[in-house]
Amino acid sequence: MRTPLYAAAFTMFAVLAAAAPPDLSGIWQTMSTANWDLQDHPAAAGPFFQLGAVGAIPSGQGVVEGGEIPYKPEALKHKQENFKNRWTLDPEVKCYMGGIPRSNYMPYPFQILQTPRAILMVYEYASSNRAINMEEKPVEASVDTWMGTANGHWDGDALVVDNTGFNDESWFDRAGDFHSDQLHVVERFSLTDADHMNYEATIEDPQVFTRPWKISLTLYRHVEKNAQLTEFKCVPFAEELLYGDVRKKTK
Amino acid sequence: MKSQLFLATGLSVGCLAFGQSTTPKTAWGDPDLQGVYTTDDLNGVPMVRPAQFGMRRYLTEQEFAERAKQVNTEKSTIDTGIRPTTGFWSLVKDAGVDAAAAPAQWIEYAKHASRLTSLVMDPPDGRIPPLTPEGEKRRAAQPNYYNMRPASWEDLSSYDRCITRGVTGSFFPSIYGNGSEIFQTPGMVAIRYEMIHETRLIPLDGRPHTSAGLRSYMGDPRGHFEGNTLVVETTNFIGGKVDVGGVPYSEDLKLVERFTRVAPDTIDYQVTITDPKTFTAPWTVAFPIRHEPGYQIFEYACHEGNHAMHNRLSAARAEERREAAKETKQ
Repeated sequence: MRTPLYAAAFTMFAVLAAAAPPDLSGIWQTMSTANWDLQDHPAAAGPFFQLGAVGAIPSGQGVVEGGEIPYKPEALKHKQENFKNRWTLDPEVKCYMGGIPRSNYMPYPFQILQTPRAILMVYEYASSNRAINMEEKPVEASVDTWMGTANGHWDGDALVVDNTGFNDESWFDRAGDFHSDQLHVVERFSLTDADHMNYEATIEDPQVFTRPWKISLTLYRHVEKNAQLTEFKCVPFAEELLYGDVRKKTK
Repeated sequence: MKSQLFLATGLSVGCLAFGQSTTPKTAWGDPDLQGVYTTDDLNGVPMVRPAQFGMRRYLTEQEFAERAKQVNTEKSTIDTGIRPTTGFWSLVKDAGVDAAAAPAQWIEYAKHASRLTSLVMDPPDGRIPPLTPEGEKRRAAQPNYYNMRPASWEDLSSYDRCITRGVTGSFFPSIYGNGSEIFQTPGMVAIRYEMIHETRLIPLDGRPHTSAGLRSYMGDPRGHFEGNTLVVETTNFIGGKVDVGGVPYSEDLKLVERFTRVAPDTIDYQVTITDPKTFTAPWTVAFPIRHEPGYQIFEYACHEGNHAMHNRLSAARAEERREAAKETKQ
């Protein structure tokens, strides 16, 4: 379904601009179920029987290299608690920002605008976004944030992004996989052809994991005519959950 | 002080000094508008022109000297970590806002005084045109958000709820979060606003707007260049939720914005607001935005940190319980 124009442009670009970095600009999305669980997971019923198959959880192959997430023993217990309480604790339930790496494999598209000075990544989910600094002088993380502080560089044809300055609030998936504010994520975006990109993230957090570990998945380009990000401002969908206890009760 | 000179002269001689041939271009030939900008310098410029300025768009030398003095006082007050009591801060005091809690490092303020008498440029008297009867009804139906007892979040504004301030509210000068950043790639412009955290993705390829079946808070923008000016037309808004000029606009709102670089660090911005269900005539707001060295955009996790929402609702319920207890005693 690739548009011929795009294919032609890509070929021309590949021939003419061998020295320039590849252009990652465009709209991307995963087809994996990594947002449900980074590890292998069978299909399961959802939390609300009223929703039947619509609310069920799809099965999927994991994206963690080697299969296991190397939790410290205490941290593993914490993850299991998170899993048990995931329908109320998952930041996604509350419409909180996805953080990194999760925002890149949530079931919503995101758009990249690549410029020499900075690379903008705009996520449909919760209007979240981040600008990756591409200047030689790195930006230092002066405050902890959901989306982190990102410095990028080109390693051959791969965009490598070093992320620090995270708070401890985002999760990696809906299965309760979590991190502390010591999180350090190194991402690697590399085109495998015009419309596919390999996405890798190496995750390091000495408070939670015994060693660095890596996820790897494919991102697909949206090639539909006139594809565009649409709006998903989810705050109104989470307010009853977040503030229902202090709503005025009608008699 | 160089920047102040640009501000003062940018509007009048900008086009001559910075014409077609000298405007920086992107590698693919579009006028280059990229960078980080702030509207901080417009802090203290009223939206609607005070009557004493009549048809005048700019302050006289004497009026400007007065404003510059006020800007400097405010700047030095905030720089010493104290919340100012002039300008915006004198207004909110009467609205029942205790801004003492606002940490000084998050307050933004003008670094260079503006010569504008109002943000509204057209009509030439700087006033927002009269509302239609429907617009008037919508305006009057808004509660006083600062002084009320909300039954639920639905009684509060989209801003209180950290949903959005809309296209104009995200960009117009405020006491914080005044940053914006423009990115360009072939066929696309993105404008990122710090306020609540928004990004508008603006296709330049001439594609049609999405249908009326797909509406959004930030609308559906389409852009093109007219000479050195980026023109963005935005429609398909959700109506009745977000205000412009103090009135919730309707779903028929149309915004036409114009971005023109007039100096290396300055972009002239204009937005024409057309909404026949709300305003009896279109009106235009115009101001320059400026690149301020060192100014950085931070993540505004508004909803994630919205303790105020739970606190306000819980305070309202506590007041009701206290009143109920009093009634039982009597």
